[in-house]
Amino acid sequence: MNNPVITARKLIKEYGKGAALVRALRGVDLDIQRGSFTCIVGPSGHGKSTLMHLLGGLDHPTSGTVTIDGQEISRLDNKKLADLRARKIGFVFQFFNLLQSLTARENIETALMLAGVSEKDQKKRSQELLDIVGLGDKADAKPCQLSGGQQQRVAIARALANGPLVLLMDEPTGNLDSEAEADVMKVLMDLNRQGKTIIFVTHSNEIASKADNILYVRDGYIQLPPELRKAS
Amino acid sequence: MTPSKLVFKSLTRRKGRFVFTLLGIMVGMASFVTFMALGGSLKSQIERESAALGANLVVTPKGSCAYEQVSILTGEQLPTNITKDEVAAIRSIEGMQAIPYLAERSAIDNRPVSVMGILPEETKTFKSWTLAQGDYFLEEYSDGAVVGSVLAEQFGLTPGSDVRIRGTEIKVLGVLQETGGKDDLTVFLSLPVAQQLYDQKDLVSYVAVRVDRLDEVELYANKIKDKVALGVVSDKQMRSSVLSIVGTVNMTLQMIAAVAILAAAFGIVNTMMTATYERKREIGILQAMGATRNGVFRLFLFESGIYGLFGGLGGAVLGGLAAVFATPLISQNAATSFVKGSQNSLDPVMFVGAILFSTLVAMIAGLYPAIKASKLSPVEAISYE
Ligand SMILES: Nc1ncnc2c1ncn2[C@@H]1O[C@H](COP(=O)(O)OP(=O)(O)OP(=O)(O)O)[C@@H](O)[C@H]1O
Ligand SMILES: [Mg+2]
Repeated sequence: MNNPVITARKLIKEYGKGAALVRALRGVDLDIQRGSFTCIVGPSGHGKSTLMHLLGGLDHPTSGTVTIDGQEISRLDNKKLADLRARKIGFVFQFFNLLQSLTARENIETALMLAGVSEKDQKKRSQELLDIVGLGDKADAKPCQLSGGQQQRVAIARALANGPLVLLMDEPTGNLDSEAEADVMKVLMDLNRQGKTIIFVTHSNEIASKADNILYVRDGYIQLPPELRKAS
Repeated sequence: MTPSKLVFKSLTRRKGRFVFTLLGIMVGMASFVTFMALGGSLKSQIERESAALGANLVVTPKGSCAYEQVSILTGEQLPTNITKDEVAAIRSIEGMQAIPYLAERSAIDNRPVSVMGILPEETKTFKSWTLAQGDYFLEEYSDGAVVGSVLAEQFGLTPGSDVRIRGTEIKVLGVLQETGGKDDLTVFLSLPVAQQLYDQKDLVSYVAVRVDRLDEVELYANKIKDKVALGVVSDKQMRSSVLSIVGTVNMTLQMIAAVAILAAAFGIVNTMMTATYERKREIGILQAMGATRNGVFRLFLFESGIYGLFGGLGGAVLGGLAAVFATPLISQNAATSFVKGSQNSLDPVMFVGAILFSTLVAMIAGLYPAIKASKLSPVEAISYE
């Protein structure tokens, strides 16, 4: 079936101008299939995070298009992009994902609030989400009372809050030890098995080996991974 | 979660900073409210006194200026140099009533009180006094004293008890009904007795005049000036010059309060700027979760508005209390002794107004930090560590 949830065409992103011009993405084309688990890999500073920001509507491309669920988003104004992020995208970053003054539950409730969910439904839904990531008993813990792995799982629960089309995860396990990483990966693989589309930036070959699809980002392009390039 | 809960969680995250910023605005508003309340009660008190005087014109010693005019309303000691002949000349003018007063001061138990020498019968009708207890002066030169109700209560005076004025024991004849003005705090003697007691033979401090026809006040002022070489002011002039003095004092006090509020406003700016830096990454997270720039702006503005709301509330309560407690202390001071028990100084309109004002000030102070916070691009905020 060829009905990608996200497509990017001729995506270019440049920062600064003149001598300080940085060409972070130089023309990326990609299709993310519904229900797939895609890993984005590649050396540091070559445009992986930039690509994630554009795919999730966190920033405008310099040129090119991003289409999410059939909707071209690259020209949407800030307000429409914010609404898109609230309802269709779930972000998880490498660290400090949680609002530090709020408990685990309140963090999730805030995401629900931003999507317009009533206070009464927020309570029920946030507990369900914490159960999904195996932290049902940590609802009232503040981020500083949770381990790194637990914090990331709360962040995943929060990213899932509004039933997004896709989870965009930028090295969510980059700061975790292997045990915590395994916990997080288990949650994610379960979600993917249930049909959630996931895009996952990682430097870990082990994680990449589980992916349906690996995108190798280098010099602002999507290239064939080195090992395949050698073979061809 | 609601936006207001989110704001409260953020506010109370740094408790020390929250409390001290709040205290700043509270102190500023408290001083503002105190001064407003005192100023307000001064004003209304002056208007009451002016009404209690019951005169359209006051004849004052030659060359007296606004300060002496305040004294007439406050019951201060005045230069006493209007002679018996001058009084007689004024009183001979037809179409008006003229009542002379000798205004002096004394102390009971080391607390200052006004002593007035009056023409008993004429003053009683002029001021429409009634007695609460005891008797009034029987004759124009009667010995004994009639005292104001508040004074009687303060010093436990009843008909038959003695009051010591200038070293002489004087029998209290009666106590007046409460008038709400400085008469309540005054010891009244018959004019001859007061003149003798204070060695002011045949002299009085001022003459209160009531003309029969209100539209002829100006005319009678001139008639008096023709007869005697003394100052004549209308009650209106007197009131306005006294109010202008009070106004200047009020203005000065309110300027001080304004500076305090301004300093507190900068405290809010400072706190909110610190918060935007500190929460830069959290702003990015909120945006990634779907908060709009406008939403971020409103959260921050709301946050600074809370400082104003709570600061204003606390300040209004503190300031109101300070005004209530400060008023009796001020009454100990001779110059303002007439400001007593100003029960209506806690005007609800002012209370609410102060809270709204302080909220407005705080929100203006929070405007710049809120704009700063909302201008952050999501990617920039996210990338901040
Ligand atoms: N806001 C910005 N302004 C200017 N240059 C930027 C900005 N953000 C990223 N860049 C530059 O764009 C390039 C791509 O950065 P990006 O963060 O996408 O790399 P990355 O592949 O995610 O690296 P890493 O693996 O270290 O996270 C880098 O050269 C970076 O310096
Ligand atoms: Mg990156």
